[in-house]
Amino acid sequence: MGGLLKLKRVVLFFAVVCLAGLGLAPILVMVSKSLIVNGQLSLAHYASLLSPRTLILLRQSLELSCVTALLATALGVPLGILCARTDLPLRSLWAVLFTLPFLLPPYIIAFCWSLMLGSQGFVALLFGPAASQAFSAWFVGFPGCVVTLATTFMPIVMLLTMTYIRTINPSLEEAARLFAPWPPVLAKITIPVIRPGILLAVILVFLLTLGEFSVPMFFRYDVFPVESFIQFSAFYSFGAATAAAIPLAVITLLALLVERIFLLEKSYQLRPGHAEAGLVIRLGASRWWFFACVSLLGLLFVVLPLLVLLFHSGSFSTYYTALSKAGDSLVRSLIYATLGASLLVVLGFLCGYFIHNRMLGLWRGMDTLTIFFFALPSPVIGIGLISLWNQPATNFVYGTFLIIILGYIIQYTALTSRITLSALTLIPPSMEEAARMVGAGWIRRMVLIVAPLVKRGLVAGWLVGYIFCLRDIGITMMVYPPGNDTLPVRTFTLMANNPTQLIAALCAIMMAATLVPLGALCLFWKRKGVAHGAD
Amino acid sequence: MGSVKQLFAVILLIFIAVFFAGCGKNKESVVVVYVSEDQVFSEPILRDFEKETGIRVKAVYDTEEAKSTGVMNRLIGEKGNPQADVYWANEPDRAELLKEVAIVAPYLSPNAQEIPGQFKDPDGYWTGFSARARVLLVNKNAKKKPVSMQAYTDPRWKGKAVIANPLFGTTTDLIAAVFSLWGDEKAKAFMDAMKKNQVKISTSNGESADWVAQGQFDFSIVDSDDANNRIRQNKPVEMIFPDQGKGEMGTLILPNVALLIKGAPHPDNAKRLIDYLLSKETERKLAFADCAQIPLHPGVEIPPNVPRLEKIKVMAVDYRQIGKKTSEIQPFLKTWVGY
Repeated sequence: MGGLLKLKRVVLFFAVVCLAGLGLAPILVMVSKSLIVNGQLSLAHYASLLSPRTLILLRQSLELSCVTALLATALGVPLGILCARTDLPLRSLWAVLFTLPFLLPPYIIAFCWSLMLGSQGFVALLFGPAASQAFSAWFVGFPGCVVTLATTFMPIVMLLTMTYIRTINPSLEEAARLFAPWPPVLAKITIPVIRPGILLAVILVFLLTLGEFSVPMFFRYDVFPVESFIQFSAFYSFGAATAAAIPLAVITLLALLVERIFLLEKSYQLRPGHAEAGLVIRLGASRWWFFACVSLLGLLFVVLPLLVLLFHSGSFSTYYTALSKAGDSLVRSLIYATLGASLLVVLGFLCGYFIHNRMLGLWRGMDTLTIFFFALPSPVIGIGLISLWNQPATNFVYGTFLIIILGYIIQYTALTSRITLSALTLIPPSMEEAARMVGAGWIRRMVLIVAPLVKRGLVAGWLVGYIFCLRDIGITMMVYPPGNDTLPVRTFTLMANNPTQLIAALCAIMMAATLVPLGALCLFWKRKGVAHGAD
Repeated sequence: MGSVKQLFAVILLIFIAVFFAGCGKNKESVVVVYVSEDQVFSEPILRDFEKETGIRVKAVYDTEEAKSTGVMNRLIGEKGNPQADVYWANEPDRAELLKEVAIVAPYLSPNAQEIPGQFKDPDGYWTGFSARARVLLVNKNAKKKPVSMQAYTDPRWKGKAVIANPLFGTTTDLIAAVFSLWGDEKAKAFMDAMKKNQVKISTSNGESADWVAQGQFDFSIVDSDDANNRIRQNKPVEMIFPDQGKGEMGTLILPNVALLIKGAPHPDNAKRLIDYLLSKETERKLAFADCAQIPLHPGVEIPPNVPRLEKIKVMAVDYRQIGKKTSEIQPFLKTWVGY
């Protein structure tokens, strides 16, 4: 018994120490570099943080992140409820459609908007060039950033709402429905119960927006990641770039604190184990009104920008050219994303279990650390990885695809860890305890009890990990081995002076590369019964 | 559970196969090149090199999103254990910076002998080839056609001119060149006058060119490849080499630059690639490519849309000075842009 307990501790301790070490080491390298100026210990790089400009950047970064998170939530939660619980026509199709922008790097979505608002774009065609120019002038800046990032990240809120809403114990809503119509039931029962999921989604959108530099750069809106990026790209000052990333780290920690305060000591009525399907909300006469509203939203924020992209991609021959130029990159992307997502699931599972069981007094620190890695600007992690791993002795990592996988693990474990954590909260502790009482060892309990119970969470984690790895550009761009680029990197490197058609075709291929394997996997799991699985 | 095990077994196999496939390629003859020139123009040249020499080229290309500075950051980050053999930069400014931080090694290529001295480092740390020019792209519907950079401060073009963000790329080079030619005081006054004349700042030369082509602005100073690109698309624009008159400063010419990385893992192949890039044949190909770059070698065959270097009044600048000036004026430019 003592031995098994020891094994559990050793495995979990090893996993979290590995993750913490792998992630912290490059960051410590960067921080130590930021403290050295001309060979001397100095805080000069941090002095700029005390300037009035820091306050402006802070305000603008927070404004952008907050407004984006609010807009994504305001759209994502109702859409999630509509797609998961109502009789809205074509609701599965809407869920897939609204997810599409999330499958592409945000910079590409910004590119779509610029195509739409350009002199040959859709707005100019409908309302004339003067209106297009006026709208374009208004759009470039804060509005452009908010619309682009909100449409890109809104699927996170929608999908998490859909996931959490399916975990509500139906008896709660059934009891409430005996005395009230759906609107108050949703407001007083459903939404408060799924609040952890919504809050997690809001925080993810907030952090993703906070660390995003390509869209603010595109629309010329000055925020901290842009400042950090300028330090890298205009001054080649790794120290100043790291210093510019510090406020992001502080904001991240504050966001986590807010999350803890909101969720402190809250208990949630989620359904354990097998359960019947939840109640369906009949929209009645309003059904077609809702359909019209969702259609309009989909048309404005998803269909039009992506249609512009597909329209520009032109003929079949463009796709042939795109594939001939980037076919090898596509294959590598699929392989790296598959491997990355799989490792993320394993580490996320161990990490989530570690946090869930509040182990060794380190669980809170581990949770904070993974979220901290998630929020760090990718150039900081990228340069840190180069500084740390680019040694003759570690060329087998740095000179191969392993360095990319390492980058994925550092930046994205928070996602799979949090998803596992959410799934673990749905399992009654009694199940693992019962197995332990009859002598099942920890490994057996993990493999035969816990993992099957959180199977849906693991599959969801894998899918999310796969999407993030596949669309990653920040870290991959910094560390990919020569001649081994991925599809997003190839698309970005081809953007300069290539015909728009080719870029549009590459973006379309990338969407397909994400959707086809995801669709195939969903079908596979559905047939195996996971979609209606145990949790 | 069986299917989960099978899935993980397949993933593990892929992992092992990919890893060993990567390790197994170490023995072939390769050269690693980091490239800041646009991939659409540089990749065909590198493919030709592969075909002609049998040496496999492994390339890392830059992105527009990273303002073509990603590979520079990699080179600096990898200084202790270089992975690259050659750096193909798209402007000499970066070459000077890399020389300063001891990332490059000298190599005097036999193919560099005919290249004018202004476009190469005397010690062989970098050598220029196929150049772009900083030209005025002017909308054909503009009432007046500017012929000098001074047009940016001329009230006739108040609010009608655009320039790319001078913190990045070739616009930084141009401003640094102006600072080193005119001196700080005059150059700062010029920049302030630009601001007063409501010159718009765009994110890139490409965006400037688009705005001029769309008629949103009368003119912009951009790279000649951006200008040629819009002309080929039949946009209502024309290209003017600025400051060609008597007593004027001339047009800034920005060559591509080939550099040998200090401690390159494949030094012999690196030198072969540099020789190839500096050849007349490569310059001919880049002149006939869509980027329409100007050969630095005399007597290279060129298409009608590419001018001969000797026909252009070239800005008399020392690229080493531009490199140093760039670092000096960055804080001023940052304030000027409003970051």
